[in-house]
Amino acid sequence: MRYIDEFRDPRLARKLVANIQARSTRPVRFMEFCGGHTHAIFRHGLRQMLPPTVELRSGPGCPVCVTANTDLDRAIALAKLPGVILATFGDMLKVPGSHGSLQTARAEGADVRVVYSALDALRIARDHPERAVIFLGVGFETTAPTVAAAILEAEAEGLDNFYVLSLHKLTPPATRAILDAGEVRLSGIIGPGHVTTVIGSRAWEFLPQDYSVPCAVAGFEPLDILRAVAALVEMAEDGRPAVVNAYSRSVRPEGNRVALEIMQRVFEVSEADWRGLGRVPASGLALRPKYVRFDAALAFPVDPGPTREHKGCRCGDVLRGTVEPPECPLFRRVCTPARPVGPCMVSAEGACAAWYRYGGADV
Amino acid sequence: MCLAIPALITSVEGTTARAEIGGVERTISLALTPEARVGDYVLIHTGFAIGVVDEEEAQETLRLLEELAEFYPDEVEVSQFPNLPISQSPNLPISQSPNLPVSQSTNEVH
Repeated sequence: MRYIDEFRDPRLARKLVANIQARSTRPVRFMEFCGGHTHAIFRHGLRQMLPPTVELRSGPGCPVCVTANTDLDRAIALAKLPGVILATFGDMLKVPGSHGSLQTARAEGADVRVVYSALDALRIARDHPERAVIFLGVGFETTAPTVAAAILEAEAEGLDNFYVLSLHKLTPPATRAILDAGEVRLSGIIGPGHVTTVIGSRAWEFLPQDYSVPCAVAGFEPLDILRAVAALVEMAEDGRPAVVNAYSRSVRPEGNRVALEIMQRVFEVSEADWRGLGRVPASGLALRPKYVRFDAALAFPVDPGPTREHKGCRCGDVLRGTVEPPECPLFRRVCTPARPVGPCMVSAEGACAAWYRYGGADV
Repeated sequence: MCLAIPALITSVEGTTARAEIGGVERTISLALTPEARVGDYVLIHTGFAIGVVDEEEAQETLRLLEELAEFYPDEVEVSQFPNLPISQSPNLPISQSPNLPVSQSTNEVH
């Protein structure tokens, strides 16, 4: 497959590893922000190929994982309202909230439907004018513009039964929060390639400027990730923090202006609750006043009841990068993909799910 | 969510397009990439094209990697490295250690 196979060339991968091995003289720890990177790194066996001086640590880049229980509980309460169809991306279905998941709510009679795209939710709304269709808006800057586009489409056709519960979040503020917390020493950040396709590589300039931390924006094929790691090693060794765009076939310095304009037309920046990070100012997206009629939280005020966190679950610490999944006492013993305690084990981008699936017998 | 896949645009109709990957065709929205044309590769995420793949940059990236590859002879197996002190890395004169090609990328931001 074009633009995938070429970037999986094992010969070039070995060369990149040789370069990393040759250049790396001091211990460094890089955080891959994106859960998709954690999975790709495992899937392609990249961890084992890197020298012992290079450590990779997962970050909070899993939008399902960082959804706070209070928000999930609200979504579940909305799903249970009579007449509501709750449309959601698949990974949210099995995430345990304070009292059950969207899946258990569905088993109890709530109309919860898995969709691949916000456009599918629009279609459901058109097909069911008598029902209120609420789309669960989870995702970072890669996804938020698609939801904004769906809202604009709904507005253009006068669709009056389509709503969005916006739980969208922004990645640079979360990265800042992790660095500000100072709990995990990082020598560099592997930047999320598809978020950055939208927001542009310039959006990461604050890392070298404010924190002296280098950033290499990476795609998701093995050569992309290794290239980014090699660039980070080089910058760390030379003490030259900068932003390197190691995914230039998709990422531009200014990003995707059309997508950004659409996202900013519909959404404004708000504070948001992040699992693991708590309340982070200016890190979420809320519907602008002009689009407030699409806001599910306003249209359907619900009281989800007191929030309950799962005892022993260290998902929050995993998301902050202070703990690796095997250090959680529940990992594998109690918490498995079949019976997950926290979202990190549920989501396709969750760090715990990656470690469980690929970590091997030593884990 | 960071998952997006490159697909080839085979036809365009207004703001939607047919895109093909691995022999499978699907309908996608070009609302976020109105500049996309038939023959372009786009990154698809939840039914939308979120960016157009820059073919020249892709070739340039591969070319730079090939250049890097020339510094590391084929017969040196990566598995040998963990046993060697870095300063004794064989076949690589450290003083000629190449500046990593990525630093020459046209899109690099400092």
